Amino acid sequence: MDIVNSITHGAAEFATNFIGVFQTGGKTFVGLVTGIVPLLIVLLTAVNALVRLIGPERIDRVAQASTRNIFLRYIVLPFLAVFFLTNPMAYTMGRFLPEKQKPAFYDSAVSFVHPILGLFPHANPGEIFVYAGIAAGITTLGLPLGDLAVRYLVVGLVVIFIRGLVTEAITRAMWPAEAKAEVAVAGAGTTAGEE
Amino acid sequence: MVATTDTQTPTKTRRNPFRFIVVPLQVIGRGAGNVVGILYQSGRDTIDQVIRNVLPFMAFISFVIGVILATGVGNYIAQGLKPLAETLPGLLGLTLICALPFLSPLLGPGAVIAQIIGTLIGVEIGQHQVSPQYALPALFAINPQVGCDFIPVGLALGEAEPQTTEIGVPAVLMSRLITGPIATIIAYFASFGMYS
Repeated sequence: MDIVNSITHGAAEFATNFIGVFQTGGKTFVGLVTGIVPLLIVLLTAVNALVRLIGPERIDRVAQASTRNIFLRYIVLPFLAVFFLTNPMAYTMGRFLPEKQKPAFYDSAVSFVHPILGLFPHANPGEIFVYAGIAAGITTLGLPLGDLAVRYLVVGLVVIFIRGLVTEAITRAMWPAEAKAEVAVAGAGTTAGEE
Repeated sequence: MVATTDTQTPTKTRRNPFRFIVVPLQVIGRGAGNVVGILYQSGRDTIDQVIRNVLPFMAFISFVIGVILATGVGNYIAQGLKPLAETLPGLLGLTLICALPFLSPLLGPGAVIAQIIGTLIGVEIGQHQVSPQYALPALFAINPQVGCDFIPVGLALGEAEPQTTEIGVPAVLMSRLITGPIATIIAYFASFGMYS
């Protein structure tokens, strides 16, 4: 009897633990859906409507004007692109730039799709947990999120600026070498073959 | 043809005795219809996006959190994660691993790895295992590989020439080895005075 008892007891405990995993998961899910989704839906709708009302032509015109110097190109343009066009359409703004600057702009823009999430989650809702995952811990402690969200955005802007500069420099350094290789290919196939 | 229709329409309206009512109503009706249409379409796009991209990931993340919290696996993860997430050298090590040019394109897709590690660190912060001040540098340490899987597509969206893509892919990957640790260091110093 004792053995039977302990077996049923063990099985029951296992069942409780087993289902407990999913109960905890379910509670987390409800917390996420009621905590993040309503705000996200309303914000997404508002921004989608704003973008449609402004119209793509006008956004394009501002973008085109924002290609002139490095500050506009690697801070303002990525911000506008990610805010208005969101991930992944933001990278289409690269078409306003000369070829040599396109990799740097891509690097800059793609590095901003997460730092923007703290304040404007509409820009990349599919990857919100890069930020929201860590932010959830702060919320659990009962601390306010504003400080983290603002600092994430500001540091993000500094970082995309540095990324733009570094990648532009690397691209420039690699460019002539590639161009020469191209000439070599056109001139003599054997030299290119050796490389 | 165009000229005659242009002159005909105003005379027609002028002859219409109700034009003071009809014209504003037309303008208001058309305008309101347009705006409501835009708002409605925006709502439809939003719900589409939430159902297709947001909710599936929430379901998946909830399961991961459920396993961590309910089974005690979290304690082992905390032991492994704490030295990485609580010191500057640890954070830099994490950054460098994620920024390795042959690893970063593998870690990139959908930011899944960054989202899972972010969630793990979040859980540890919530359980007082990692101090909240490290949230900011951790956000950058887990993410130097952002978009490294997507460079050719991203450049194609920017209408780049094939030659640009050839140079651009290694340029971005190498740039990350330099800018990844820089980002973590900046974030580390920018986090001073937060939640303390």
